[in-house]
Amino acid sequence: MKTCIALLAKGACFLALLGALLLTASFLFMPKNNHKTFGVGSDELFAGGILGERDHSIDVLVVGDSEAYSSISPMQMWAEHGFTSYLCSTSAQPLYDSHRFLRQALERQSPKVVILETNAIFRPYTFNDYLLSRAKSLFSVLRYHDRWKALTVNDLSGPMGYTWTDDLKGYRYNNKVAAADARRHMQPTDQMKEIPLLNINCLQDMLDLCEKHGTQLVLVSTPSTLNWNYARHNRIAAFAAEHGLPYLDLNLMPDKVPIDWKTDTRDKGDHLNYRGAVKVTAYLGQYLKQTFTLPDNRPSAAYNSWNEALKRYRSTYANPQFRQAP
Amino acid sequence: MDYASCRDLIDGRYLDSLTILALVAELEEEFDVTVPTVEIVPTNFNSADAIWAMIERLQEEG
Amino acid sequence: MASYCSLLYLGIFLPAVVLCYAVLPQRHRWKVLLAASYVFFWMVSGKLIVFLLVSSFSLHHFGLWLSAVQEERNRMLAAVDKAERKAIQATFQRRLRRILLFALLLYIGTLLTLKYAAFFSVNLNRLLDALRLPLSLPIPAFVLPIGISFYTLQAAAYLIDVYRGAIRADRNLGRLMLFLGFFPQIMEGPICRYEQTALPLWEGRPLTWRNLTFGMQRILFGMMKKIVIADRLNILIKNVFSTPTAFDGGVTALAMVCYTCQLYMEFSGTMDVVIGSAEIFGLRLPENFRQPFFSTSIQEFWMRWHITLGAWFKDYIFYPLSMSGPLKKLTSAARRRLGSHFGPLLAGSFALLAVWLCNGLWHGAGWQYIFFGLYHFALILCGSLTAPLSRRVADTLHINRDAIPYRVFCIVRTALLVCVGELFFRAEGLRAGLSMFRRMITDFSLRSFTDGAFLGLGMDGHDFFITAVAVLLVFAVGALRERGIPIRETVARQHIAIRWSVYYSAILFVVIFGAYGVGYVPVDPIYAAF
Repeated sequence: MKTCIALLAKGACFLALLGALLLTASFLFMPKNNHKTFGVGSDELFAGGILGERDHSIDVLVVGDSEAYSSISPMQMWAEHGFTSYLCSTSAQPLYDSHRFLRQALERQSPKVVILETNAIFRPYTFNDYLLSRAKSLFSVLRYHDRWKALTVNDLSGPMGYTWTDDLKGYRYNNKVAAADARRHMQPTDQMKEIPLLNINCLQDMLDLCEKHGTQLVLVSTPSTLNWNYARHNRIAAFAAEHGLPYLDLNLMPDKVPIDWKTDTRDKGDHLNYRGAVKVTAYLGQYLKQTFTLPDNRPSAAYNSWNEALKRYRSTYANPQFRQAP
Repeated sequence: MDYASCRDLIDGRYLDSLTILALVAELEEEFDVTVPTVEIVPTNFNSADAIWAMIERLQEEG
Repeated sequence: MASYCSLLYLGIFLPAVVLCYAVLPQRHRWKVLLAASYVFFWMVSGKLIVFLLVSSFSLHHFGLWLSAVQEERNRMLAAVDKAERKAIQATFQRRLRRILLFALLLYIGTLLTLKYAAFFSVNLNRLLDALRLPLSLPIPAFVLPIGISFYTLQAAAYLIDVYRGAIRADRNLGRLMLFLGFFPQIMEGPICRYEQTALPLWEGRPLTWRNLTFGMQRILFGMMKKIVIADRLNILIKNVFSTPTAFDGGVTALAMVCYTCQLYMEFSGTMDVVIGSAEIFGLRLPENFRQPFFSTSIQEFWMRWHITLGAWFKDYIFYPLSMSGPLKKLTSAARRRLGSHFGPLLAGSFALLAVWLCNGLWHGAGWQYIFFGLYHFALILCGSLTAPLSRRVADTLHINRDAIPYRVFCIVRTALLVCVGELFFRAEGLRAGLSMFRRMITDFSLRSFTDGAFLGLGMDGHDFFITAVAVLLVFAVGALRERGIPIRETVARQHIAIRWSVYYSAILFVVIFGAYGVGYVPVDPIYAAF
């Protein structure tokens, strides 16, 4: 018995020391800033731009996969309505990452509205993936370990601080055109596509988190012939009704979001291009402004950086010829 | 290599499977026994003594 | 739970099983292992667990059936005098053989159907098409229960051993179920024999600090091989093998060596995790690898690589075939004329051919696997045929066959031959394999290495560097083992500060230099697919 306790104590010591070592390594490997020159991976770079935004300055937060960053342009909503929004959206984002970005953003931001792009809800993942993601949140060396290839002296002692902001606020510009065949898009059905159990749990956690922070969760399905269909719509509509959440399926609003599948998609209906995003954003911005009392921050000096970002955004991307309807 | 005193002919990998085939053929002719497949296990072939013990046993049974 | 190197297995499943095992009294421990094994199987293969259940129940039943017949025979033999014994023996032998054949047909038949029905239909359709017959078979698509290629061999070995009287049939169903389905080895082996693991598993040996720490060290070493090396090589290998015509011979050769390395690191790494897991419960599973790349011949290589599979084929195919009546006569006759070296070779090569066809096919339904088997058959046969000649050549040239330069020459030659075999093994079809091989010979150039293009294949300079470091580490450990130096024991004797530093360095090495996360695609357990 005595030796047993001694051995248990020894094991505990070993684990405690291991934990300390991993935490030290985590500090070492953590990017010391959110800019790509500090070793942030290219996919998380844009989502991480929110870390450089002033505390409590974001009115609308968007999480989701590439559907989100292809369809919603915060700068356009800023230009048209004057509220701030940010997309924490990454390629093929698993729902636990949506949850993580939400958690991370709510630490320093207090958005009135959180939008979840619904495509991520159906992306299956394993329990092992989820565990790994939790472990990565605990020991960030697990997430940033590959930075051993580019570690510098600054990483040893450099102060932490986030100074970079993304002019596009998480949106990713793309103006390629590859027409989609939308003849069979959104054919009505009574069937429901099941949401995996792990995803349901994760959704519940996100709901609780939003409630705790007093922010409204809104579900939005952006147009995509490849990823969206009526069975998915039915399931999300049911989930939204069950939890009293607002739900917008932009695939079913041809009068409000008139997507032309010949010209508005960049990869045959998988994602929208800039033209499609402009249409989605125009409606979404109007909806948000009307439904939730969002402020107009444009005149405020505190938001000067947004006005300047808008100037750069306009000169680079939003030239009028893109904005004309065909 | 002293085959008479070696105690791990199989486990030490001194005898390969083809050599064993030759050995079994020779033993069967020499001692007029039949060595069934089930007897081809390392313990029976690891030393000259073990092989001899197996032969004696097979002669008795036959 | 897709892999033994997953966080779910190592971080949750295994610790939970160890905890339950530790707190329960000894006589209940086997139940923990059995329950854990079935949970594990269910988590990987879901409903297909029925296959394992049916296999276990029927194995229990067939074993008892065989032993009941054997007992009846023994009773009758005891009752009669010597003259009648032979007839009784023969009658019962026939009955026993029929039961065994029926049972084997059931197991092997299930395996063959699930694994090869599609391959068979596809090729038959091609044949029908070539003969211009307006017929075609449907191509079935079965989902294989995990580990069926492994546990079927264990079940077959058990029944044959019972039939031969080498072991007694087990009356305890639970013990047999655990023997067949023990979770660390269910996915990728090692293929265990009943007498090796059934009893120790059932005993519920006490947990000891030594077993726990030694097991975990072994697991860590295996993870290093899998996560640092095998996974890091994966993207390059995928790139080259999926578009075999896009690259010159130099790059093809690089991919060939990388794949051989990956296969070894993945499989032997998983084996380290498996054997380490079992070691925690005080169980020594048979080793599957013994430094295969120190082999001086292909024959030796196969005694060091996937040892339990080779041993299975030797015991249950090679010897039964080569010792069967006609082949035995052939050996006797040939030996008188050709001598002891070439005599048994004739009969032996028949059996060897059967072994290698089975070995190739066991790895999967595809012509490239059959080719792989025949390739090694040819190499081993060549080795045996030319052994006297090469000995004579070495003697006339006064080459010391034990000298280090000659051994190194043999080792490198063997490794190269193995690499070529693995090229065909990995290639996406036999045709792709042949074209890659041709390209390697006719279009060999080092251009990609001189202009740095090889760094764009999925591995950058850092990746190559860390892979080389890790491979050297594995090589060093292998060299020590070759000399018979026990590494874990040596570490265990050190002062605690040194010991713990070694452990922590190893853990951090895997954590930092592992090829996981964004930008990496881990390799799926290769042997679990066989």
